[in-house]
Amino acid sequence: MTVQGLLHGVDRVSEWSGKAAAWLIVCLTLVVCVEVFKRYILNAPTAWIFDLNAMLYGTLFMLCGAYTLSQNGHVRGDFLYGSMKPRTQAALDLALYFLFFLPGIAALSYSGWDYALLSWRINEHSNVTADGPPIYQFKAVIPIAGALVMMQGIAEIIRCVVCLRTGEWPVRLKDVQEMDVVGEQLAHSEYVDEESRKQVMGHTQEIQDAAAHRLVQAKGEHK
Amino acid sequence: MSDPYLGLTMLGLIVAAIMMGFPTAFTLMGLGMIFGYVAFWDPALPWYDNRIFDLMVQRTFGGMNNDTLLSIPLFVFMGYVIERSALVDKMFYSVQLAFRRVPASLAVTTLLVCAFWGMASGIVGAVVVLMGVIALRPMLNAGYDIRLASGAITAGGTLGILIPPSVMLIVYAAVAGQSIVKLYAAAIIPGFFLAFLYIVYIIGWAVLDPKIAPKIPEDQYRLPVPDWLKRLERGAKGSVFPTLLASVVNPGLALGGKTADGKDITYGTIAKNALASLIPIAFAFTLFSTAWWYVVIHSAPQAIPTIVEQVETETVQNETMRELGADAEEEEEAGIPVDAAASQKFGALGGLEGQAPDEAVDHIPENFFVWFWGLAATYAFLLGVYYRRMDGEQLEILKLLSASVMPLAMLASIVLSAILFGITTASESAAVGAVGALYLAAFNKYRSHAIWASLVGMIAGIAFGTMRNEIPTYIVAAVLGAIFTGTAWCWLRDLTSSRQLIGTLKESTFLTAKTTAMVCWLFVGSALFSAVFALHGGQGLIERWVLGMDLSPLMFLILAQAIIFILGWPLEWTEIIVIFVPIFIPLLAHYNVDPVLFAIMVAVNLQAAFLSPPVAMSAFYLKGVAPSHVTLNQIFAGMMPYMLIVILCMVIMYVWPGMTLWLPRFLYGG
Repeated sequence: MTVQGLLHGVDRVSEWSGKAAAWLIVCLTLVVCVEVFKRYILNAPTAWIFDLNAMLYGTLFMLCGAYTLSQNGHVRGDFLYGSMKPRTQAALDLALYFLFFLPGIAALSYSGWDYALLSWRINEHSNVTADGPPIYQFKAVIPIAGALVMMQGIAEIIRCVVCLRTGEWPVRLKDVQEMDVVGEQLAHSEYVDEESRKQVMGHTQEIQDAAAHRLVQAKGEHK
Repeated sequence: MSDPYLGLTMLGLIVAAIMMGFPTAFTLMGLGMIFGYVAFWDPALPWYDNRIFDLMVQRTFGGMNNDTLLSIPLFVFMGYVIERSALVDKMFYSVQLAFRRVPASLAVTTLLVCAFWGMASGIVGAVVVLMGVIALRPMLNAGYDIRLASGAITAGGTLGILIPPSVMLIVYAAVAGQSIVKLYAAAIIPGFFLAFLYIVYIIGWAVLDPKIAPKIPEDQYRLPVPDWLKRLERGAKGSVFPTLLASVVNPGLALGGKTADGKDITYGTIAKNALASLIPIAFAFTLFSTAWWYVVIHSAPQAIPTIVEQVETETVQNETMRELGADAEEEEEAGIPVDAAASQKFGALGGLEGQAPDEAVDHIPENFFVWFWGLAATYAFLLGVYYRRMDGEQLEILKLLSASVMPLAMLASIVLSAILFGITTASESAAVGAVGALYLAAFNKYRSHAIWASLVGMIAGIAFGTMRNEIPTYIVAAVLGAIFTGTAWCWLRDLTSSRQLIGTLKESTFLTAKTTAMVCWLFVGSALFSAVFALHGGQGLIERWVLGMDLSPLMFLILAQAIIFILGWPLEWTEIIVIFVPIFIPLLAHYNVDPVLFAIMVAVNLQAAFLSPPVAMSAFYLKGVAPSHVTLNQIFAGMMPYMLIVILCMVIMYVWPGMTLWLPRFLYGG
């Protein structure tokens, strides 16, 4: 198996788990709406709704951590970083993965395991209401998310090594991007002239990347 | 081993570490781990058994249980769905027609559309790129000054992150232990005021120097008016309004003609046009009657405001005394009573409605009636002028406007008023808003289905409303019923048959997942960081140091805002809010600075950060889509004045705190 294959394999696992967890946002929306309806109109609030909401939201963002990392979606202070050469970026990242990333995520997986285990053993229930729902399964999300992020982090470390050797960042899996909406909006637009539409559609990602790196794109403008 | 100077080292290192470009969430986590390890170091224990590991897990669980952050995925989801369902270029076209007689009309339109769309979506990059395509070229073709054109786009695009519902304010609320509801109420007036200042600047510049924004020839912006509407025009101004209404009763006046696409005029066409022409009146009526209802009937004196007040002061005290880490449990404690008080306040309504109005009079702000009737009369006069001049073309513009702008405007106002009037908590109205956004997406595809299902839902909602039998319940139940049933029906239909909408849903869901994970992991990282920072006593040291400088409150405020302004150059708003804002918050009480005012000033200040050369991303986004003769320097030159306007706005906010604090005080007391 090539290194690229391995990286994409790990990416896929992260992406799959993240996308599966992402649907919790739709569940959360529906659950909250049903609760609004029940409480406001039927006058019958649910006691454990607070716990349920927290569980949906907490599980959502924890399990999506690895997915976001695999898409390089965690915010970076890219003011200086953006203008560096890929090799410099990789060297910096590699060092910082060991220094900053591994200890915290190791704690999350390792101590998180103990934390969840204790909760399982005592059959812990929520104390928001007197008769709260169990929360040990919610606490079990911490070590699971920790392990996923750890795995993705190791893949990122390998990415840094590959980049150090080749001088280029290995490609990531394609996924939906924030800028995609520009293309969709333009596809349905009626008043935009064809020329400017063509110029932008399909290039939105390049514009995004150029802006992130504070670059002025091509067309021979040098400042 | 803990040492305040280690804490300070942490703070110094964090700026340098963030600049190294590593994902900030993990940078914060890592620094927290390293310094926490030192703080908890106990030679008697093996190296792998350090309490920092447990603290890390505890803080993570705190982040997972945080009920303020709960709103983030919901609002973000709403934004992504709206982005994909409201067509910006139609909005731009119709708003531009409506404003075509205003000086620099294209620039004003651009600013308004940017702000309006950005308010819903909140993603600066996408707004700027999209408006760069839709608005920049028409402006340049019309001979507008490049600086004017680019400034309007970049400044408008960033406004969206300030005007509620904004994710930035949720993160701020989570970090500062404020209530989201209060921050939203406080941000509305300054947000619109800032937009107003921008527009004044654009129009002022265009009036003083007409060369920069040449008038667009009338014939370029004419709407074709169907013949049958032309025939209805009467009087010197050619108003169609009276004859249109008359033809509802007497269809013979209009029947017999053809519509634009060649169909016969039916009674349905007449009714639709007549309804469309009534929209401004309906809008005014809703606005004024809601204000009247809220002030005169709803806000009768109750003991509740004092409860809210107590809770608020408690929150502030907690904030000053406790360590800085965002402590979920304490926030819960503070958060629940507010909601409870709000629902209690609302629940008490039924009993109060019938009660003596003289009791209520005490609570009505001074001069309310003068203002109310004054504004109502002014508005009625303007409406009168508008209807007198409403020729066929105006009616067509109104129809375009209501098709493109109104759905989104209604959704935004439902969400905001549900939050502000305490009908639902912020996260609940975000969820309702998200469903509303799904409704909009479905409405575009299955218009008639959506309308009929909503009508059924509305009736069902009203039927449910009889269980409580209060006027507000009827309204809320009807709205909820209409939205829920309409959405459920259209989406079920779509999912079982053509599946046109599933793409929108998938994209929005996955993007929401990524954005939420980004913000919340950052929050987890900063929770650990600030816990360790406080553990070392770094916070105490900073407090003593700042207090030792013996600043006046104004100097403190200027210092704090200047620091945030400077940090805004290299850093993103997320980083500034989760790392640096918490350092200032405990000091606010000492200097008697209102925490809500401070919050909104920070939010306005961060606007400037988005507009500051040479790092502002918006400029690079715009450059990416602009024609090649537009240089980066011209874009920056266009942005600079807006930075000054932001500063001016902050000065006005300071001089006149009532602008920010009036609405939250009026709505929630305290």
